[in-house]
Amino acid sequence: MVVLNKKAFKLPRVEKDKFILLLRLGLDYDRVQGTFCVKSYNNIEKLTDTIATILNADEVTFAQTCAICDRNFPCSECKYLDLCATKNLPFQCVCPQCLKDGKTFKETG
Amino acid sequence: MATNEESVMWVEKYRPKKLDEVVDLKDIVTSLKAFMRNPKTMPHLLLAGIPGTGKTTVALCIARELFGQNWKTFTLELNASDERGIDTVRERVKDFSRYSRAAFGNVPFALIILDESDQMTGPAQTALRRIMETSSRTSRFILICNQSGKIIEPIQSRCAIFRFSKLDRQAMIEQLCCIAKNEKVSLDNEAAERIVDYAEGDLRHAINALQTASAYREGVVDEKTVSQVIGEASPIQVQLMIRKALNGEFVEARKMMYDLIGSYGFSGSEIVRQMQRELFKMSTLSPEQKADLADVIGEYDYRLTQGANSDIQLSALLAQFAKVGKAKGETC
Amino acid sequence: MDVIGNEEAKTAFVDWLNNKRGTKKAVLLYGPPGVGKTTLVNAAAGEFGLKVIEMNASDARSEKAINRVAGPATAFVALDTFSTESKGSILFMDEVDGIAGNEDRGGVSAILKIIENSRIPVIMAANDPDLDKLRPLKKVSALIRFHLVRIPLIISLLQKVCQREHIAAEFEALERIAENSSGDVRSAINDLQSLGETTKTLTLQDTVMLKARNRDISMDETLRGYFSAKSLLEASMLLSRSNVDYDDFLMAVGDNLPLRYPDPADLAKAYDFVSRADMYKGRIGTENWHLLRYFYNSLAEAAATSPESYKPFTLISPPIRVITLFWTKGKRTMLDGICAKIGHLCHVSHASAKMDFIPFIKVMMARNKADGVMSWFGLQPAEVEFLANMTRF
Repeated sequence: MVVLNKKAFKLPRVEKDKFILLLRLGLDYDRVQGTFCVKSYNNIEKLTDTIATILNADEVTFAQTCAICDRNFPCSECKYLDLCATKNLPFQCVCPQCLKDGKTFKETG
Repeated sequence: MATNEESVMWVEKYRPKKLDEVVDLKDIVTSLKAFMRNPKTMPHLLLAGIPGTGKTTVALCIARELFGQNWKTFTLELNASDERGIDTVRERVKDFSRYSRAAFGNVPFALIILDESDQMTGPAQTALRRIMETSSRTSRFILICNQSGKIIEPIQSRCAIFRFSKLDRQAMIEQLCCIAKNEKVSLDNEAAERIVDYAEGDLRHAINALQTASAYREGVVDEKTVSQVIGEASPIQVQLMIRKALNGEFVEARKMMYDLIGSYGFSGSEIVRQMQRELFKMSTLSPEQKADLADVIGEYDYRLTQGANSDIQLSALLAQFAKVGKAKGETC
Repeated sequence: MDVIGNEEAKTAFVDWLNNKRGTKKAVLLYGPPGVGKTTLVNAAAGEFGLKVIEMNASDARSEKAINRVAGPATAFVALDTFSTESKGSILFMDEVDGIAGNEDRGGVSAILKIIENSRIPVIMAANDPDLDKLRPLKKVSALIRFHLVRIPLIISLLQKVCQREHIAAEFEALERIAENSSGDVRSAINDLQSLGETTKTLTLQDTVMLKARNRDISMDETLRGYFSAKSLLEASMLLSRSNVDYDDFLMAVGDNLPLRYPDPADLAKAYDFVSRADMYKGRIGTENWHLLRYFYNSLAEAAATSPESYKPFTLISPPIRVITLFWTKGKRTMLDGICAKIGHLCHVSHASAKMDFIPFIKVMMARNKADGVMSWFGLQPAEVEFLANMTRF
């Protein structure tokens, strides 16, 4: 299982067709940094499958971002992994630390 | 091979064709004959009473006496519970008025017989009243119903009302014996009494039972065969179901209800309608008891239209009957 | 915006509202119920000062519908940035899959027409976007997907609600509620409120009534729990959590009620509640899900009619209703045809033919004495055979 950072991750060089496919499946490419980021989540399953093939990995997923402390963390850190209803999207959750500390979301407008 | 004439249903074969032949309705017949001597004076008619007491027969006799052999041309027969709504009734009346030759001899109108008119809703009856008014130049209506109280006042006030009561026991027995003789079937007295008991004043039931009983043994109807018919044929199921419920035998009553749905494909509303009819006929209940139970039926009749499951509503209805039956503390 | 879970959907929606996403003027928010679609729409409207025009299935088909979204009064007032009035309006149609799900082709075309003519953004929400009938709508809309909300997020949310409502709750209790919600935020919050609102405290023990909302609760288990429920709340919670088919369950309750209530007065009372529940179910149909609450309540009342009288009994599992399976439309039509013929010749209604004549005719048929009668009525061989085969169940 490969866990990527959805805001910025690198991939090995691919041919033009594959590149266009990745963009169409929802990625954006930053030429300066040379990294991809996820722009749209509508085709996330196909996207992760494609990246998995590129990386020759069994499974590819993106890290969760904690909605409270903004840290990136993988699902494997979470004790509810087996009960989780949706393993992929969304990529926002609450990290075990914040949960334990009882920190909650800031009250916004 | 039996001929057509012989194989006809006896209720039809022996249905009186003349008013004079009608069993046990002397007063009604006298009044009607007065109207028919001078047809121009004949108003709309409302014939009311429990099933099987001669209302349809009288209506058909009137048609025959007014129009003679081709009475069917000048008569439209409708059944309110079979028409899909007041609009179809209106259509059929309109078409009929348009195409029937409206005058025959000194009869300046055609006849429209509307059976089970008490099954029509209030708004439908209001529309019916208007139809009656607009076609009154060319048609006369004979409305037939079980409960005249369910006919709205504006219609009642425009009709001459005739009430048909439960047939006299003796008259019914005589009629049965007469039919039996014609059909060359020996009918002993006990059997005739049994049939009349079972029929509860409904001559149609009685004649059907007689005809069915005659199918058991060639030329003989005795008490034994009558019992068999009642056991096997039983449209009486509904009455029995009501009795069982009132007696607290809820589970059995419910089973019978399922039987009706399963064996005969009755819908919830049809069963409820039958319950209303049978309740009416039951001689072991007082008028007050019948009124209470009729209210309960009315409530669940409404719920059937709202609910999704007929058997739930019917079961609940039977449960209410069981409760009433226990409270009254009587068995029937 | 205080909307938690489905962050991506929120971003996508806000982008769409601000027209960063291109030219589609309609958007379809889709995903399971209770995960924040409606909340998001209202929160966004509040944040951006937009007026929400709500429309449902029957509204959409009315004459006024198009005027509300395309008339001059809805023109976007862009220049007056200092106005305290709302800058614009948006149209919101919730549960469009309910509209389309009703063999109601008229519904979908009405909506399409509204989208076509609308001068304001059109937002639709649906639970099940895979309905074929929604395809025309999907073609003209941006699609935003919502997901079940995860347990940690739900727990965090519940913690926040506790803070706000001053409820002292054990962590394990909140955990339990979140676990049982299966990703449905709305139900989790409802559970929290119904369990903790009155006492303002919540222990793990209090949550013991929550049975996992999972596909495995069988009819038997639901029935057992239902009949042995000690309170209205327990019964209604069980019902809302179970995934039994409600019609089947109603039948099963109907079968078992006489065993539970031997006393006729109790039985009548309980059955009356079941009958009411059935009426609510009838009114719910496929779209009035807000009436579900009344369905649960009525049905729960039937279980709680006289709790003291409860004695454990052996449940009857509902038999397969062969009866209803037997009476197909074809058979009904056939029977109607026969009744019409009898009714016509004997001057009675179809129902009377069925009730007063057919039983006798059948007996005559059984004794082979009905041939002449059959031909007099003009019954076809198929109809004769049908009558002969109508048997007792």
